[in-house]
Amino acid sequence: MPEETLPLSVSARSQESELALGWIMNEFDPNTALSSVGRFFRRMLERWKQFPEQVKRLTVLLGVVVFALLTARTMLVPADFGKYGHYRASAVDEIAALPIQYAGHEICNECHDDVVETKAAGFHKNVGCEVCHGPAAAHTEDVEAGELLAPRGREGCPLCHEYLPSRPTGFPQIVSASHNPVKPCIACHEAHDPKPPETPKECSACHATIARSKAISHHAYVACTRCHEAPDEHKEDPRSFRPSKPEARAFCAGCHDDDTAGKEGIPQIDQTTHEERYVCWQCHYPHLPEAQ
Amino acid sequence: MEELIQHLAPLLKEVVGYIYPNEIELHWGLLVVVYPYVTGLVAGAFILASLVKVFNVTELQPTYRMSLLTALAFLLVAPLPLLAHLGHPEKSFEIFFTPNTRSAMAMFGFVYAWYLMAVLLLEIWFCYRKDLIQWAKQETGLRKFIHRTMSLFSSDVSERALRFDRKAVKAVTLIGIPSAFLLHGYVGFIFGSIKANPWWSSVLMPIVFLFSAIVSGIALVLLIYMIATPLRGKEMDMACLNKLASYLFYVMIIDFSLEILDFVHRVYESEESIEILAALVTGKLFISLIVVQLLLGMLVPLGAIAMAKLLQMPNDLKKMIYFVAALLVQVGIFSTRWNVVVGGQLFSKSFSGLTVYKTTFLGLEGLLVSMGLLVMPFLILYVLFALLPPWEESKASLEGS
Repeated sequence: MPEETLPLSVSARSQESELALGWIMNEFDPNTALSSVGRFFRRMLERWKQFPEQVKRLTVLLGVVVFALLTARTMLVPADFGKYGHYRASAVDEIAALPIQYAGHEICNECHDDVVETKAAGFHKNVGCEVCHGPAAAHTEDVEAGELLAPRGREGCPLCHEYLPSRPTGFPQIVSASHNPVKPCIACHEAHDPKPPETPKECSACHATIARSKAISHHAYVACTRCHEAPDEHKEDPRSFRPSKPEARAFCAGCHDDDTAGKEGIPQIDQTTHEERYVCWQCHYPHLPEAQ
Repeated sequence: MEELIQHLAPLLKEVVGYIYPNEIELHWGLLVVVYPYVTGLVAGAFILASLVKVFNVTELQPTYRMSLLTALAFLLVAPLPLLAHLGHPEKSFEIFFTPNTRSAMAMFGFVYAWYLMAVLLLEIWFCYRKDLIQWAKQETGLRKFIHRTMSLFSSDVSERALRFDRKAVKAVTLIGIPSAFLLHGYVGFIFGSIKANPWWSSVLMPIVFLFSAIVSGIALVLLIYMIATPLRGKEMDMACLNKLASYLFYVMIIDFSLEILDFVHRVYESEESIEILAALVTGKLFISLIVVQLLLGMLVPLGAIAMAKLLQMPNDLKKMIYFVAALLVQVGIFSTRWNVVVGGQLFSKSFSGLTVYKTTFLGLEGLLVSMGLLVMPFLILYVLFALLPPWEESKASLEGS
């Protein structure tokens, strides 16, 4: 490319480079440069000497400490720490390389479609197969080699169904010590389609927490059906057929109004003046009315 | 499993109301109570030392070096309860090498290191440098070597160098006051920032912690001064004692006001947690909060010191009052830490029940280890006093030589 067609800036830069090169070749004196560097270090050394002795010693100590820390850090922190986050990046590969234990529930359908179908229609539809049968990856690879768990005693079911006050009301719970002791759960319940062997007679079979609260309250002898009307279907399909709940103040007043005769020992209120803006259950828990 | 059940079974009998299953046993026990108590003593003792240098309170001069060494002795022990509680102390260096800047707890390592290296050790070194050089000159053998090493083999005792030492001490003290505030304010921050716990979650927490720390630090130095001086066969400086008691009194008034402010604020705000907190205060914490912290640890010492100040009485009686008051303050402040740490875990997050805390005697989280950790700073302090005598006469005799 002829020189006159070059862009101006390129041409200017090449001229600058030539000038610099010319200066290095003609005027740069290595001895002068060395002496400048030497002068700089001499000046620094003189400054250093003027520092109080304490500062010098502390600076040296600080230098040693910082050097030791940096050396230790370089040696001890893995090279790939922090690549993805606040952890060692190669840990991800190490974890990924661990043998897979669980197969997931979809694969069970390939051989056990009848059981899967039964389970999908029952209350255990959201419980994965491996929750009860254990990790199944080896079993899916080789049926003979990887034998699965099949809990046939009483050890498995109470893990979810043992009574605990923090479990939601309506969730079937038992006290295993008194619920058909010794008998295996599968003797009465089909785990893939669990249903009570007979329709529960008492509300407490499912509403254990409420039953326990009510049992120690002043409402202990008030039957559940006094306040709730439960259709028979509720016992078979509890979520589709819900029991009724009293909603009006007049319902509680049926026993607690001061006009009600023959109710000795029952707290009485004048329902026309007693906190008339609220319904009763906003302040009183009906299953344990004395609770604050 | 059997051991766990045996541990939990007696606790369950004392659980009141409804609590979640993972709330029966407390996760932070006695060791975590010891930690803010010890850290508070460090910050308090240092702030007392700062009064001498920054505000030039000459009456407190006899306690200046003692306060610094007390702060150091307790600071060396401060992280040990945490290391014992967490386990794996061999991994503790990792918070320095791979710091997690988003974790307030992890940042404590840096706050601690800054306070130890850049504040306390530096101030002590500048303060003692001249003495270390002079002591080393008169000594032989191991003691000489230790003092020479501690002075970093320094030898310059010219007027210019000494002037620099004095300026450096002042500068470090100025940096040290906000650092001490940071050290203990941080401990309060850790609790105050846990928004899920209404007993802890309060913006006042760091400042309440800080002032209670100053109270405990002053009371501790007062106690150490009153024990160490007669043990050395010396006479106590009454002006110094009176001044210490005055400062203790003033800071206690501020601390008391802040705690009352916190209390009134909680009651007025009356959040949904107020009923369970009221049950906590009047039930499980009644002895440790109302009786020990408030009555014995605050009102009785305040009244006693006020009486000693207002009434004419012999010095010996005053000394006795100061001593008992400072002792009660220590018990009260330990109780404060107990009430924060343990109290905050005694009620359920459901606000419907209370659990119970029982400490063991043996074991890493037990009473014995905690007592050992509380005794350890005094042993360290004994060694420090032997190596770096903070007494006025050990300075004066050398200046004359």
